[in-house]
Amino acid sequence: MRSVLALVSVFGALVLLGPILAPHDPTAIDIANRLSPPSPERLLGTDALGRDILSRLLYGARWSLGLAFLVSLMGLALGTLAGLLAAQGGKLADWTVMRTTDTFLAFPDLVAAVVIVGVLGAGTGSLIFALTVTGWMRYARVARGIGLSLQTRGYVVQARLAGLSPLSVARWHYLPSLLPSLTVVWTGMFARAILGISALGFLGFGVQPPTPEWGTMLLDARIHMRSTPLQMIWPGLAVVMCVLAINLAGDALRDTLAEQDLPE
Amino acid sequence: MLSVENIAVRYRGVTVLQDISLTLAAGRTLAVVGESGAGKSTLIGTILGLVRCSAGQVTWNKAPVRRCRPALVMQEPRSAFNPRVSLRRSVTEPLIAERRPVDENQMAALCRSLDIPTDLLERRPSAVSIGQAQRIGILRALIAAPPLVLFDEPLSALDAVTQKHTARMIADLQAKEGFAALIVTHDLGYAAAYADHIAVLRAGRIEELTTAQAFIDAPQTAYGRELRDAAFALGALERVA
Amino acid sequence: MIQLFLSLVLRAVVVLTGTALATFSLLWHAPGDPALAIALARFNAVVSTEVVDQIRVEAGLDAGFWTAFKAWILPLLSGDFGSSSVTGRAVWPDLVTAMSYTAPLALSGLLIGVAVSVPLAILAARRPGGWLDRSAVAVASLGAAIPTYWLGLLLILLFAVQLGWLPAMGARTPVHIILPALTLGLGVAASLTRILRSGILEARGQPFLPAIRRRGVASRAIERAHVAPHAAIPVVTVFGLELAFLLEGAVIIEVIFARPGLGTFLVTAIETRDFPKVQAVVILAALLFVTVNLVIDLIYRALDPRIGSHDA
Repeated sequence: MRSVLALVSVFGALVLLGPILAPHDPTAIDIANRLSPPSPERLLGTDALGRDILSRLLYGARWSLGLAFLVSLMGLALGTLAGLLAAQGGKLADWTVMRTTDTFLAFPDLVAAVVIVGVLGAGTGSLIFALTVTGWMRYARVARGIGLSLQTRGYVVQARLAGLSPLSVARWHYLPSLLPSLTVVWTGMFARAILGISALGFLGFGVQPPTPEWGTMLLDARIHMRSTPLQMIWPGLAVVMCVLAINLAGDALRDTLAEQDLPE
Repeated sequence: MLSVENIAVRYRGVTVLQDISLTLAAGRTLAVVGESGAGKSTLIGTILGLVRCSAGQVTWNKAPVRRCRPALVMQEPRSAFNPRVSLRRSVTEPLIAERRPVDENQMAALCRSLDIPTDLLERRPSAVSIGQAQRIGILRALIAAPPLVLFDEPLSALDAVTQKHTARMIADLQAKEGFAALIVTHDLGYAAAYADHIAVLRAGRIEELTTAQAFIDAPQTAYGRELRDAAFALGALERVA
Repeated sequence: MIQLFLSLVLRAVVVLTGTALATFSLLWHAPGDPALAIALARFNAVVSTEVVDQIRVEAGLDAGFWTAFKAWILPLLSGDFGSSSVTGRAVWPDLVTAMSYTAPLALSGLLIGVAVSVPLAILAARRPGGWLDRSAVAVASLGAAIPTYWLGLLLILLFAVQLGWLPAMGARTPVHIILPALTLGLGVAASLTRILRSGILEARGQPFLPAIRRRGVASRAIERAHVAPHAAIPVVTVFGLELAFLLEGAVIIEVIFARPGLGTFLVTAIETRDFPKVQAVVILAALLFVTVNLVIDLIYRALDPRIGSHDA
């Protein structure tokens, strides 16, 4: 858990401090110096419009990382709500939520996101909508599974007997037990969100120019693959490193949880 | 007064309880004895209003039983408390649910009667002994002063000495607070010593329902006799010469 | 068994209906005037409002939601996928052409993935914790973090641009499929290796195995009869997931390598607001998914009778 929190803080710092650390304005066009190799002034070189790649990477973190973080949290909230509703609400609620989950899961999320963003029009709003709507289901399943197993616990029965409202029961008695497993799911979904946003950016369905984002930077770099192949490395590398870090943290968390096997 | 009228509980085609009728007045104790699988847990759930009856009704003073907010003391004290929360929070949950303030004097008095040092309540469930946990469970059950309290094998997780003390405490508290007590137990000795009436539950039906003394002296059914004789043989009951 | 089959089929039907409804509502609520978009795409010029209104009636866009929905879904149930709002041609034949490009890509990608991951997983599982095992897991973890589009671009950079060995764009010759399939296959291999490896290790750890070994059954026979089927379970499940990966990958890869196929079909349809085509692809993909998952579910239960139904 500690490594996950450490990771989140590092990412958070990157997202927040990125603009401050960036040496240049990411949208400043400088045609004279376009496609130049790395130099002491422009550590990673410039792109086709002369913009500093390092600055664009740092600013881009706000979208590729920050937005992914936001979207994954929204999915967490929505999915947990749905899962708890299924666990606490009785047979009908359970069936409805589960079939809805199945319906949304029946489709590869990237394709669905492409369709949603494509149809609703590119923009941050539709991006957030598309990624949240395709990203809540896993949480729902986990929350429901754990919720159902908790229904028969002594203290849950006591809470219901005392007449505690379902919301309070969820907050006090379900959430603490759900948090570890939900966090594991969240790490996976955070990684997917990062990959998703950059993939959509690469396909032209994501964040729109001139806003810097790692996926769109790759799209730009692709055109000049022959002349400046190096440009293609940096955004991709950024994505890989972030996703790898999250996956490792998530694996570590999953292993710790498996060892602990909380006695209740 | 608790009134269980002809209830039946069916689940997935299986009849778990049938033709159950009994009454219990305030301040009185009814012991329900029977083997495992006879339907004791379902009976508890139904009387508490947590399980819906397929037939019949359960009322307290002619109103649906849920309205009197019956309390439950569970068999296994460890799982009866949220492990992540202080015992004080768990104990006061019935009051929190009803948005009632905590009467510190009343709580202190109950703690004294149950031999619970108040600093124990600041701890987590894992930091107290089983005996203490069970008594804290009783504290939780009584904190909102319910008129009806159910006990599901309240002594079976405790060692012999603690059993005696706890049984005594329950009886004393009942005399003081005046609640009706329905105790599910397989310990006929306990039932004989503390209950006014004994009901024998077998395969979802009540085989016998008489005063405790009458049952011990002369059980009406063969099954009742089996239970009583077994209790004598195991030393749970002592023969009066 | 029949009851189980029927309930699973019922569930599949519900899911498909939900998908159809969701897709249709999404397209129904798309911003902008669809009739206008169709007119623009069809005539490639601004047209008079009368023509736009005519298109609106033609395409059934002036009716209510449910009428329009029924108008789409009823022919669909008898196999009629409707006609493109842009070209007026039937959608189905174009869809089939697109599939004929994507299917070999997906299959070869899957083959490459399996060809790489199976031997790797078996070798890694032979000595768990050994250097081969740990490097395999490390490489697989790395592979899972690499976005498909980046891998594709890197492969193009290496094999097409720098080395000039393989073609990058288009689908003219069979050779053109190598780089795209490789991109897809490596991605599949990354996740398959990890899952296969842990599947094998878990299957080896089954509690009844030592007893069988003590009875003197040969190692290889044990592997075949007890380890393999149990290890096959997660693999079967993963096939369902890999299908999602393949479809997503197809969209990205076809765009990168400028190949015709379902991916390009979908992207073009979205860009030209050709909604009948978009609906067709979505429903087809959903149908494919639900069917495959249904089959997998049944195989799953057949492989391990211990798996009971534990959800609603």
